[in-house]
Amino acid sequence: MKNKTVLFLNALLVLAVMLAFTTTANAGGKVYKIGMSLAITGPTSDAGNPYAKGTEDYFKFVNDTKMLGDDTIDCTIRDDQYKTEVTKRNFEDYLDQGIVMYLNYSTGSTLGLKRDFEEEQIAVLPASYHSGNLIDSNYIFLPIVSYGEQLVILGEYVAKHHKGGKAKVALFVHPSAFGRGPVADVKKAIEAGLNLELVEVVEHGKDLDNTAMLKRLMSKNIQYVISQTVQSPVATMLKDSSRLGLSASSFGEAGKLTFLGAHYTGGNDLIALAGNAAENFFWTTSFNITSVPGEGTEKQLALAKKYGRDQKAAESHNYAAGIYVAQVVTETIKRAKEAGLEINKKNLYETLNKMNGTNAYQAYSAVGPVTYSKTDRTGVDMAQIYSVQTGVFKKVGEPIQSEYMK
Amino acid sequence: MSYFFQIVVSGVVVGSIYALAALGLVLVYKSSRVANFAHGQIIAAGAFITYFLTVTVGIPIFFSFLASMIITFFLAMSVERIFLRRLIGEPIISVIMVTIGLGSIIDGLIYLTPFGSENFSFPEFLPQNSLSLGGVSISWTQLLGVIITFLLIGGFSWFFKKSTVGISMRAVSDDQFGAMSVGISVPRVFGLAWAAAGLSAAAAGCIIGNITGLNFETLHAFGIIVFPVVILGGLDSILGAVVAGIIMGLIQQFAGGYLDGNFGLSGTGNVLPYIILLIILLFKPHGLFGIHEIERV
Amino acid sequence: MSANPWLATGNFYTTYKQEQKTFFTNLDRSVFTFFLVILYAWPLLFPLGNKYMLIVDNILIAIVAVMGLNLVTGFAGLISIGHAAFVGIGAYTIASFCRTIGDSHILITHLWPLLIIFSGLVGAVFGAIVGLPALRLKHLYLAIATLSFQMIFEWTIQFMSFFNQGQTIFVGRVFWFTGKVGRKDHYVFWYFVILTFVVLLGFGIRNLLKTRYGRSLIAVRDNDRAADAMGMNPGLTKVYAFALSGFFAGVAGALHAYVYRGVGFESFTLHESIGYLAMAIVGGLGTLNGSFWGPVAIKFLDLQVERLAETAGQYLPAGMNLATALKPLTFGLVIVLFLMFEPRGIANWWRIVKSYMKMWPFRY
Repeated sequence: MKNKTVLFLNALLVLAVMLAFTTTANAGGKVYKIGMSLAITGPTSDAGNPYAKGTEDYFKFVNDTKMLGDDTIDCTIRDDQYKTEVTKRNFEDYLDQGIVMYLNYSTGSTLGLKRDFEEEQIAVLPASYHSGNLIDSNYIFLPIVSYGEQLVILGEYVAKHHKGGKAKVALFVHPSAFGRGPVADVKKAIEAGLNLELVEVVEHGKDLDNTAMLKRLMSKNIQYVISQTVQSPVATMLKDSSRLGLSASSFGEAGKLTFLGAHYTGGNDLIALAGNAAENFFWTTSFNITSVPGEGTEKQLALAKKYGRDQKAAESHNYAAGIYVAQVVTETIKRAKEAGLEINKKNLYETLNKMNGTNAYQAYSAVGPVTYSKTDRTGVDMAQIYSVQTGVFKKVGEPIQSEYMK
Repeated sequence: MSYFFQIVVSGVVVGSIYALAALGLVLVYKSSRVANFAHGQIIAAGAFITYFLTVTVGIPIFFSFLASMIITFFLAMSVERIFLRRLIGEPIISVIMVTIGLGSIIDGLIYLTPFGSENFSFPEFLPQNSLSLGGVSISWTQLLGVIITFLLIGGFSWFFKKSTVGISMRAVSDDQFGAMSVGISVPRVFGLAWAAAGLSAAAAGCIIGNITGLNFETLHAFGIIVFPVVILGGLDSILGAVVAGIIMGLIQQFAGGYLDGNFGLSGTGNVLPYIILLIILLFKPHGLFGIHEIERV
Repeated sequence: MSANPWLATGNFYTTYKQEQKTFFTNLDRSVFTFFLVILYAWPLLFPLGNKYMLIVDNILIAIVAVMGLNLVTGFAGLISIGHAAFVGIGAYTIASFCRTIGDSHILITHLWPLLIIFSGLVGAVFGAIVGLPALRLKHLYLAIATLSFQMIFEWTIQFMSFFNQGQTIFVGRVFWFTGKVGRKDHYVFWYFVILTFVVLLGFGIRNLLKTRYGRSLIAVRDNDRAADAMGMNPGLTKVYAFALSGFFAGVAGALHAYVYRGVGFESFTLHESIGYLAMAIVGGLGTLNGSFWGPVAIKFLDLQVERLAETAGQYLPAGMNLATALKPLTFGLVIVLFLMFEPRGIANWWRIVKSYMKMWPFRY
């Protein structure tokens, strides 16, 4: 029995080693290596999974349609289970393989590897839109507006559309730096003149019941709850509020609560989790979403169809976010090639820094142009507000930029 | 004042759901002295099976709820048969690690399905509004959860007190060799205990899944969250699980309702149960209702 | 003593003192020395890429941590589900220094060996404090008490802004006699440092087990009441076992902080604690060499599975989900299979091989 198991394991191992050496041969053209490390399992994998699919599919698309001529992009995607340790290992491995750009995921690992990025001088696009990523860093490029700015944009929307006096607002945040960081940005914006009163900052736990918290907010006359966390806790809160009859049926209904949230609180996952309670939830992100059809979303759906993704992945905004980073990478390589530069870390970094003004890049997955420079490390500087109407996210107004952020 | 009562009611409601989630741990420990660290995974599996039967197969939710309880009943029983039967008499650390390993295996299996990383929610089958009594409100889902909890706990208590199988289970937990000598099949009792635990886990999974939505990470975390509950109540006491569950629920709600947002504290509901657990354990090393084991050299 | 100082077939002890010798024959000593020389020399002869050097460093750190866990769980029989938190205590000791005096203060960059030892001591203090419930608690209740410590640790780190709420706190690059250790030499340099720690601490444990303090651990594990009757103090022994394991964990944590040049709470979660337990069990509880086998086996398994899944992913369309599912699946299977078929771990295979070699060419 034991010997058989050992034999079997050995056979597997041999097979693994054999397979490892039979790499698929690439005929003609250059191969540009890109590395990506993200959480496909573990915490936040509900976002990481479609994100990885988006990136994978887009690079396949680039190679299949010969967007870079004979040259191809080889992007290795690896699961890090949301652990900085594993991310670091993946990153070192990618460096050994000679990657020219790096795609990262979590806030924790982006902050943790910041110094390595600096030393290696490699351009990095994380999936974390934490503004702290940019402090003491020259090589991290935020794909879209930071969480803090998203919250400020929502705050500005509240201040503008609230009727009667100063709007009272509570923030509902994740108990980690990911949730707490942006709170400071909101406070700063209020000091700079944003017409809001921030009454309370609530940090949630693994709650089964938010009744007490919601009643407390009501007793303090709070009308707006802006969330900066992931979908699951928001869904629980929305459900509780809805059954208590505290949810506003339209924006800013007096005596009721209107819920708003930043990038990772929303999307189809929220509707999947909260059901009808998600109605009238306001959400902001910089990506086009499939419930608001347009040119970008059509391309997104076509891409998902081409590579056999299920509907759920195809319609996820995280799938769009994954496509987006792949688009930026591809565009950068393309531009560097056109300029006749050698494709390496340094040239790509510089090319990326020139992506502004008339050179701004229109990625179909995002709502605005992508601009980067030595001083502007935020890609898409605009955000679109969406709200849930009859079970799907609909557009509210046009993409906007925040006034009080800078 | 209604704020206070609301917190009390919420605490009791949340606490009874904890008690239900903890019940499976107690059942297993009571008969076989095994702490099951894979309980959270079984809870998640139960919820996903119910969802699969309801949405994909199209069975009405109440039947799929029952069906998933039956499926996990046999699932847990076979887990015991395949993995834990061989470990009877092994040191406690081995048994703990086997259940941890099992949890990891179930993790892997669930990651093979879409449930591993996507979000779902049960179709709504209860009224969406909430029951309100003098300013204190409780949702139908929670109410149903409490009812199921007490039905199951009442059922199990009766089962252990009156039925022959239940009494033989108690006999095994008291003295395995003694039980064997009067003709009780100890392995069968172990299998049954696991099966019952699986059943209660599925019930807990469905109720929690109804409240939080179906997310694997959220669901399987409950396997660890309820550990303070069972330890506080005493590992082998069903009554202890109920009392401790409600105490923990109250602590969490009060911490969330009064501590958070004041004194610059936050998220205390997550950590306070563990602190209180440590303090209580210092005075009552076998929990509130646990049996004090007499050791001989 | 056998007549031949190089080979001994069987036992030739005439005094207890002889039995306590570290090396029984000259051959033992030579083989060990040779092995040690190889361990120190190979990175210079066959330089590896950064990734593999990082993995090797990581394994060595895990070995330090698992040696500590083996002391408390394997030798003293006290289950600790909070070992990663102790490792975290060590790492956050370094981080606290970095927060208060800056991450490139001379204390951190030049006097790092002292700081590492100091972190070990801090870990020992916390170990002793957490060990206090062991005076009253037993078995599972104790295991859960350590679990509580793990939870409280995680919450504290994530709550306090002093600890940067769990986000990375950077640690500066260290200096050696040759100057600042740069990015290129970083992992190789730390390989030598950690290896030295492993060797020293390994000898420490080996010698400890030959003293009354080591034997009292085993006596308390086997039966604490009997140990009490024989004049040992089981309570004190348990607390001291936790303190010892805390020391090892603290050192491992400090090394982790330096190697990764930063401290973030994700490296010290419950999941890691379970990982350490798995390593201790797969290696072999209650054995010193098991502490070496376990981390090596588990980490290499992880790596191999990753590689296997990646290659499978090239041929299968749904490869990605497969890759991520395989990791927990194999991790769980390895633990379960070992416990079912080889509960004494890899160390037992080693023992069998060794006794075979010793008796060779006879069977017994």
